[in-house]
Amino acid sequence: MPVFVSLLAASGALRVASLNLCTDEYLLLLARPSEIASISRLSRDPADSSLWRVARRYPANRGSLEGVIATRPTLVLTMGGGGRSSEAIARRMGLKTIDLPFPASIDDVERNMIRVASALGDAGRAARWRERLSRLKKSRRMAQDAIYLTDNGFSIASESTGAQWMGLAGFDQRPLPGGRATLEMLALHPPRVIIRSTYRQNQHSLGRAWLAHPLANNARSKTIWTDGRPWTCMGPLMLTEIERLRRKG
Amino acid sequence: MTSLQAFEVALDRRLQPTSLDVPPGQLVALVGPNGGGKTSLLRALARVEQAGGKVIIDGEDLDAAPEARRRRLLSFLPASRDVTWPIAARDVIALGLDKPDEERIAELIALFELDALADRPVDRLSTGERARVLTARALASRPQLLLLDEPLSNLDPYWVLRLVDIFRATADSGRTLLIALHDLTQLPRFDRALLIAGGRIQMDETPAELVAGERFGQVFRIREDAEGNWEIRQAADRQSSP
Amino acid sequence: MRLFLALAMLLCIAAHLLLPLAPLREAQAIDPELADLLLVQLRLPRTLLVIGYGAALGVSGAALQAIFANPLASPDISGASSGSALGAVIGGYWLGLTQPLALAVCGAAGALGTLALLVGLAGRRADTTTLLLAGLAISLAAGAATSLALALAPSPFAFYDAFDWLMGSFVDRSLSQAAAALIPAGIATALLLRRARALDLVGLGEDVAASLGLRPRQLSFEVIALSAIAVGACVSVAGAIGFVGLVAPLFGRRLSRGHPGSAMIPAALIGAILLALADLAVRAVPLDRPIPVGVITALFGTPLFIWMVVTLRRRLTA
Repeated sequence: MPVFVSLLAASGALRVASLNLCTDEYLLLLARPSEIASISRLSRDPADSSLWRVARRYPANRGSLEGVIATRPTLVLTMGGGGRSSEAIARRMGLKTIDLPFPASIDDVERNMIRVASALGDAGRAARWRERLSRLKKSRRMAQDAIYLTDNGFSIASESTGAQWMGLAGFDQRPLPGGRATLEMLALHPPRVIIRSTYRQNQHSLGRAWLAHPLANNARSKTIWTDGRPWTCMGPLMLTEIERLRRKG
Repeated sequence: MTSLQAFEVALDRRLQPTSLDVPPGQLVALVGPNGGGKTSLLRALARVEQAGGKVIIDGEDLDAAPEARRRRLLSFLPASRDVTWPIAARDVIALGLDKPDEERIAELIALFELDALADRPVDRLSTGERARVLTARALASRPQLLLLDEPLSNLDPYWVLRLVDIFRATADSGRTLLIALHDLTQLPRFDRALLIAGGRIQMDETPAELVAGERFGQVFRIREDAEGNWEIRQAADRQSSP
Repeated sequence: MRLFLALAMLLCIAAHLLLPLAPLREAQAIDPELADLLLVQLRLPRTLLVIGYGAALGVSGAALQAIFANPLASPDISGASSGSALGAVIGGYWLGLTQPLALAVCGAAGALGTLALLVGLAGRRADTTTLLLAGLAISLAAGAATSLALALAPSPFAFYDAFDWLMGSFVDRSLSQAAAALIPAGIATALLLRRARALDLVGLGEDVAASLGLRPRQLSFEVIALSAIAVGACVSVAGAIGFVGLVAPLFGRRLSRGHPGSAMIPAALIGAILLALADLAVRAVPLDRPIPVGVITALFGTPLFIWMVVTLRRRLTA
């Protein structure tokens, strides 16, 4: 075996590299600083991650295994498959890999938290987070008719993880044909609440201009703003955001 | 009665500062070699380009005249017969008028024998036919001064004679015409001839005196032989001339 | 004939405003005021834009053809439409301007830039070949630059807007957007129409026009500037739409007996009708994906364009 691989095997200390914006969230929430080998570069961008300040303390990777080898990880986190070649390389080098599934529900998110915490050596690290989640679930209220509205009227599926999180906050995402709200629909059947995202708010696009149309800003719906960054992954960071939305609703 | 007075009109290198005085009712021919300045003089007088100096028609300063007045004062006909748009002959003639005047248009159509062609688009006429239409346009507004650049080129003998008849009649009615010519056979019918070469008026005489003048032969590099026929001046001849 | 055109336009306006009828009926059933709301906030801006943009294309196409003395000049072939798109894209995506009026200014600036480039490259009285080549080159370059500007823009969603910018769209535009486009375009178009007689006279040749007291060079610059404003403002809201500015003046001249300046008014009506019909076709096709209006105008415009080139060739060689 090549020298550096045997060195790796000999080191013993746990070092984790995360190749994906969404797996970054778990790592940053659960790991100690010395345990983090590398974070994906997307997490350093204030436009994409609410943990960007913390993420900047660590080396950045571009999402490939080759890029993180220099940081000497012992465990690699991926989501949605790191690619077959990556798995093969990792096995050759004796690295452990954990591939987290895209969460299809809040339960999936919870399971991912437990799994990552266990991989870090202590499932109890996820306890606080799970406690907050359980409190939210117990105090669930009557949900209002709501639409999560993004560029060009696109929304989220009413069975998606995002919709489940919304439900926890007290908002019932309306099922929409084609996953999209039209201006006619917003005028004729306005929802009680419209949730708007601040994601990349200052960046113009035609879809963004659509949201400025008078019919998309009906006074009959209450508009609530949310930090759009956690919604990309619908992962553990959503908890804080949902707690905040609860108070707004 | 139109008189033309031009003071110091010039066009960079193509026309030296030139002054001209034409009494009313004169039919003036401009002759000269290619590139000598005939077209430049007409363009300068017509204010097609910024030409400095002054042009006074019947005591009225052309540059100070309002746009509406220009049509009455002068008309310019360039040498080019190109047309861009497929407009009917009668409509081209109508462009020469301020307001629609069916009588006048009919009069001109008859005068230039365009009856059969009146509704045909000008781009489908022959060069000669187009020349008649464009000349009719220039005459339409009965301007006091007519500046015509080679209106007789490419016309058959009938129309060369007819057009000169029309020009003669126009002059006789008291209006003034300056006409650039290449073909000198019609020269005798003009009242006055200017020889323009090198951007200057070299001679200003009656047609007969002009042709007989020494300068005329020098400029065109031709001379009359004993029988009164024209021939090319030989280099040797030129050397041996006094 | 003009009466027929005016009636046809009224019919198009009515159809464009009211079809499809179903959502309006649905609104009426819930609350009559809602039907009005839909008509005013959703249908009216779209119809106003379609009519105004079509008219602006017709008028500026006719005016450009008059001063370039060429029946093939037009906002799209001269690059003005693509230039407008580039200007608006840079203003919106790179300079971060959001006010529709500011974007209209950027669109006009873009059009002015490309037209100035065309005059610089081909000259004002260029022959057909030179004009076409220069215009097409500039148009392609501006189109490519627009795509690049969108691809590199800060927003990752910008690139998907390329289709709308380069092929046009009237979907879900607001009244303020319509006003930002049509007020400048309307003023510029009105000023262009006032020059109809002068443009007719320029049709006799610049020399004759100059001798009649007109100033052809100044007139050219005025026409270029006004066309840039009219087209630029419309493109900034609805994207670049081709062929209407080429084809409407062609038919306009049929109605004005060939005079290039007097063709502007009929060209305006015809342009408006063509664009309204194209947009109606877009809305009538029952796909979830919207077809850009520019595709429809290209469908009817391309065969006409080819026919124009063929007749031009025949005329030149005759």
